[in-house]
Amino acid sequence: MIPSSWLPRIPVVVALGILSAAACSRRGGCRGEYCGTLVIAGTSDVTTLLPPVSDAAIDRDVFDQIFLRLADLAPDGGTIGDSGFVPQLARSWEWTDPLTLVFHLDPRARWQDGPAVTAADVAFTFDAYTDTAIASGDRGALSHIASVTAPDSLTAVFRFRDRYPEMFFDAVFHMRILPAHLLANVPRGTWQTAEFGRAPVGDGPYRFVRWTPGQTLELAADSAFFLGRPHLRRVIWRFASDLNAAITQVVAGEADAIEVLITPPNIKRAQDAGHLTLYPYAGPTYSFLRFNLRANGDGSHPHPIFGDPDVRRALVLATDRARMLQSVFAGHAKIPPGPMTQQWQWLWVPELTVPPYDTAQAARLLAARGWRDTNGDGVRDRGGKKLSFHLLVPSTSAVRQQYATLLQEQLKAVGVEVLIDQMEPATQGERLHGGAFDAALESWNADPTPTSSVSGIWGRSGPSNFGHYANATFDRQIATAASAATPEAAKAAWIAAFGTLAQDAPGIMLFSVDNIAAVDSRVADVRIRPDSWWALLWTWRIPPDKLNERDRVGG
Amino acid sequence: MLPWLLRRVAAGIAIVFAVVTLTFAAVHLAPGAPFLPPEGRPVNPAATERLRRAFGLDRPLPEQYVRYLAALAHGELGESFSRRRPVAAMIGQALPNTVLLAGAALLIDFALGIAIGVFQAAHVRGRSDVALTNLTLFFYSLPTFWLGLVLLLVFGQWLHWFPVGGITDPVLHDALPLGGRILDRLRHLALPALTLGLVAAGGTARFQRAALLDALGQDYVRTARAKGLPERAVLVRHALRDALLPVISLLGLALPFLLTGAVLVETVFAWPGLGKLAADAISARDYPVVLGTTLLVSAAVVVGSLVADLITAAADPRIRLSA
Repeated sequence: MIPSSWLPRIPVVVALGILSAAACSRRGGCRGEYCGTLVIAGTSDVTTLLPPVSDAAIDRDVFDQIFLRLADLAPDGGTIGDSGFVPQLARSWEWTDPLTLVFHLDPRARWQDGPAVTAADVAFTFDAYTDTAIASGDRGALSHIASVTAPDSLTAVFRFRDRYPEMFFDAVFHMRILPAHLLANVPRGTWQTAEFGRAPVGDGPYRFVRWTPGQTLELAADSAFFLGRPHLRRVIWRFASDLNAAITQVVAGEADAIEVLITPPNIKRAQDAGHLTLYPYAGPTYSFLRFNLRANGDGSHPHPIFGDPDVRRALVLATDRARMLQSVFAGHAKIPPGPMTQQWQWLWVPELTVPPYDTAQAARLLAARGWRDTNGDGVRDRGGKKLSFHLLVPSTSAVRQQYATLLQEQLKAVGVEVLIDQMEPATQGERLHGGAFDAALESWNADPTPTSSVSGIWGRSGPSNFGHYANATFDRQIATAASAATPEAAKAAWIAAFGTLAQDAPGIMLFSVDNIAAVDSRVADVRIRPDSWWALLWTWRIPPDKLNERDRVGG
Repeated sequence: MLPWLLRRVAAGIAIVFAVVTLTFAAVHLAPGAPFLPPEGRPVNPAATERLRRAFGLDRPLPEQYVRYLAALAHGELGESFSRRRPVAAMIGQALPNTVLLAGAALLIDFALGIAIGVFQAAHVRGRSDVALTNLTLFFYSLPTFWLGLVLLLVFGQWLHWFPVGGITDPVLHDALPLGGRILDRLRHLALPALTLGLVAAGGTARFQRAALLDALGQDYVRTARAKGLPERAVLVRHALRDALLPVISLLGLALPFLLTGAVLVETVFAWPGLGKLAADAISARDYPVVLGTTLLVSAAVVVGSLVADLITAAADPRIRLSA
């Protein structure tokens, strides 16, 4: 029986017990070249780890560690031809005729549960990615490939329907090879919710360990990885609710890396932390104001304001993009002269220029189209209708909210009223898809090539052409670019296409961010690929003399 | 008492049913749609349509509602749209975290609130009473998310006393001995629990002070004093016992406050509980998860209110549960 006078002391005794037990924590024992642990601060949770059924950025980041492609883009590789690629599952490849591409698989490649990776897996993967029951987002990009066959276990034969410059890119970039022995018996209609997507088995440098939804996802290095043992022993994604929370984790030392900082205040926070090294790299996104060329919510009629190309051109001229860029990014972004990301450096050429900031010319154009301020209220009008429109802005993007306010102020100077509608991304997405908007501020992540994204967003039949921009000349030019035989010819066609787009002004290209990653300074050999931030993670390392307790624990 | 209990249970079921029905209508009628690609990624209409069909969203709304209720009657909450997992499993994973957070916050709320309220009543109209009145009013007026952000900034980011988020250290936790794991969990729990608990304690303290002052004016307290009992005994043994009854009833009301507050606090601290699950699900238009969490929270509030009434009745013989 415990004396009653002791009762108040019990919590103290328990606390002391816990503290002393905690003090006896095991010291990790891992030492040497292969001990690092890297915690990545993520801004959203993973959806599923079965590659064909997800297109989310975070999912693709994890796919890069678990699943291999036949070949991958070299860090500075181009997408035309096959010279910009490095072997992964395929040890080599050859063109046996203009439409037949033969891959020879590396016999050392193994699935993490033991069996060898075979050509039958490649054929199975192609069948899965092109199956309508799965409706993969990459299915369209594979439409040029007629078949994939496996004449023997180490030979995969791709037959194309037609010849074009990015055949090799399409053959290797979109598909991550899947294990047929684990997925062949899973009904395709259930892949969205398949157990495999929650505990995948791959062939990449890292193997899946665990995923605690909403919290963390952990991978462990595959020490037998045939392309070389990864130096970082553990990789953990730690999911935060938003970018600020993720950056706070990195700044506080509770995570080691984050792929983007975006704004100058975030960059300053990372610089001030002292223990982080910043790595700039070409960003894969560009942002713009999109005009809806059809009436808001009624696609059968032209938009009363933006249906007129001269009004659109006037608004482009009335926008001081350099000032906005300086105000928001303080030099950490560029103004794209077309729908371009910074990863397409080969397209940032002097021939493509940003239209000048010219409010006088903008005012003349508007007046010539009948838009005048007849009642002296500061807003132009025509036939009793004000030159006023609603601008959709996602509530989750502080940068675009700043841009919306600056646009509102600048366009007011030429008598245009901008009404800002902030809304959450899901609502904005629905409005865009339904054509229920006047104008919207959008950001797009693009592939390493302009071929897919430009036609999808600005082409007449592009599924993401929410503004209904349509110009047969532009469509012809981008088709020419996609089928050009040489990089030079493709470049010339893209420049012509972007010139047409600038003339039609279906939007105002605003900024393309200089991406900057922050990584703990103890990590060495950090290389970041613009199209796939963590693709080279398995080559990063933490030198033995810089290992800390977190790196050594559990070794 | 049994008829009262049966009536309350029936009313509780009706309330939960009404909440689920209203939520079902609200989530389906709200702007935004599930299965749209993340912003800035290519649209894949075929995939969106196939997912809509797979999850039954191509059916008329009344049919979806009937199907949902039928599944619910079999104990099925459906599959998450965004995480492709059974909703019941997701809730099962998040619930213990929210119970831990709400429990710790409740402990802080009542321990601190009652202690401050009693101290104020014992020193009524003194300087400390005035100061504590202002202080409790200040905390009671604070938005929980704001207090959470301030605590996170000061004690997490600046002073490094506590972690800035999560429920455990993702690297070290599993390698720690039992005591270390408990301490690790307590360190992660401290800031979110304090955020919720401090705001709630502000209200409880004010309530406790008023109840105790009321009790101190009663005849039986005057009698106790007249008998020559020490003031401490009068306060603790006589007045406080009576004044705790209304505070117990506050327990039932504290639950909805803590659960709704948890939505914001869990989001600020990346605490993987029901609140964060619900907030993420709302952003992703993940209807089954929104409905599942709403169902659970409304049921918890109904049960909490019932339990508080039963405790109050057990503690106060004057109360008869027959009305």
